Amino acid sequence: MAGKIKKLIDLIVEKRANGNPTIETLTKSKMVMKGIVPDKYTSTSDDDPQVIEKLLALAKELNIKI
Amino acid sequence: MSIKTVYSVKSGIHEAVQDISTQLQDFDTRVLIFFASSNYDPNLLINAMNEQFASLPVVGASTAGEIISGKMLKNSIVAMAFNAEAIADIKVEVVENIKSNCDINQAFQSFGEYFQVAMADLDYTQYVGLILIDGLSNCEEKIMDSIGDKTNITFIGGSAGDDLKFSQTYVYAKGKAYNDAAVLAVIKPTAGFDIIKTQSFEVLDKKLIATKVDAEARKIIEFNNKPAVEAYAQALGVSPDKVADYFMSNPVGLVYGDEIYVRSPQRIDGSNMFFYCNILEGMEVSLLQSTDIVKDTEQAVVDKLQELGKISGIINFHCILRTLELEQKGQTDDYGKIFASIPTIGFSTYGEEYIGHINQTSTMLVFK
Repeated sequence: MAGKIKKLIDLIVEKRANGNPTIETLTKSKMVMKGIVPDKYTSTSDDDPQVIEKLLALAKELNIKI
Repeated sequence: MSIKTVYSVKSGIHEAVQDISTQLQDFDTRVLIFFASSNYDPNLLINAMNEQFASLPVVGASTAGEIISGKMLKNSIVAMAFNAEAIADIKVEVVENIKSNCDINQAFQSFGEYFQVAMADLDYTQYVGLILIDGLSNCEEKIMDSIGDKTNITFIGGSAGDDLKFSQTYVYAKGKAYNDAAVLAVIKPTAGFDIIKTQSFEVLDKKLIATKVDAEARKIIEFNNKPAVEAYAQALGVSPDKVADYFMSNPVGLVYGDEIYVRSPQRIDGSNMFFYCNILEGMEVSLLQSTDIVKDTEQAVVDKLQELGKISGIINFHCILRTLELEQKGQTDDYGKIFASIPTIGFSTYGEEYIGHINQTSTMLVFK
């Protein structure tokens, strides 16, 4: 399977930023500090379970339903 | 004038605090932020501050050197006083025992109740967070991570220092001196605010991937599947026994877009490298090359001044490693002069806080 990481990143950024570009950048920068570089992932990137786990934990912390 | 900066180099605690108080007697101080050399006894210092400023919100930190408009100092107290034209509102909380529990929920609940808006919904354009944290706690990443998850408010600040003794650092708030703690303040600047984060490095085309780490200890065991020291030396093009000579000029950085989040090497232990910030397993960092701190910082301040038209005050969280480099190069006077015409206080930190925990920056809260 591939592309799940990008989907999760996009969903988290969308829900958190609600279209605000400043918050989009901020949210992505916070992901970078957690070791997830958003721009590295595309719709063909492998579904690394460790990264997915980190993103699911982040979504939970942000009260974002996946 | 909405912000006034004062300092004292008197060695006696009561004399120094009295000196600060006297300089502020004609100013309608509503909030006081101070940074003090660790050579002042922390408990006696806060008691003296309480005697002079009991009715005010007062927050502060111990330092590894102080900054005041126009000067870099040692063994001093620097303070910034704000009147109502500068700060419309402030709420201060202390998170204690951070080494065992980085839970900021209680503090955030208190902020939410005070401002009557949950921290998740507080307007990030109107409010800014200040964080002063025990600089020897190794807890900055966890706290900043947690803050970042819970709010869009920018929290900016520094890790307290102790004049390179690496023994005990202190933060001050609510009339007490704390270690193993973080002071969090949510501020509503009356005329708005901005941020300057500047570091003096260019990114080299040499990448290191942290393939084996002990993140809690900020220890890198392997870069690029090789012993950390060997891989770092290879990237530098020097022999492994020489790498410590390059720590200050060639740290590594997380690079995202135009931003660099510097991670500075602290020491080597066998083939392992310890850093002043954590690098997580799988993180890709780039080797950095130092540039001119004075020139770059001056440009950053000038650019911001041009953008904003005027700056009422700056709080400068300035990495101790930059201070050491400025001292080595005899540039501390030149650095201090960058801020000569702007009310400024700051201190040499054991790390800066902005989005996460970072090193080798001047990270500044700018009051419009």
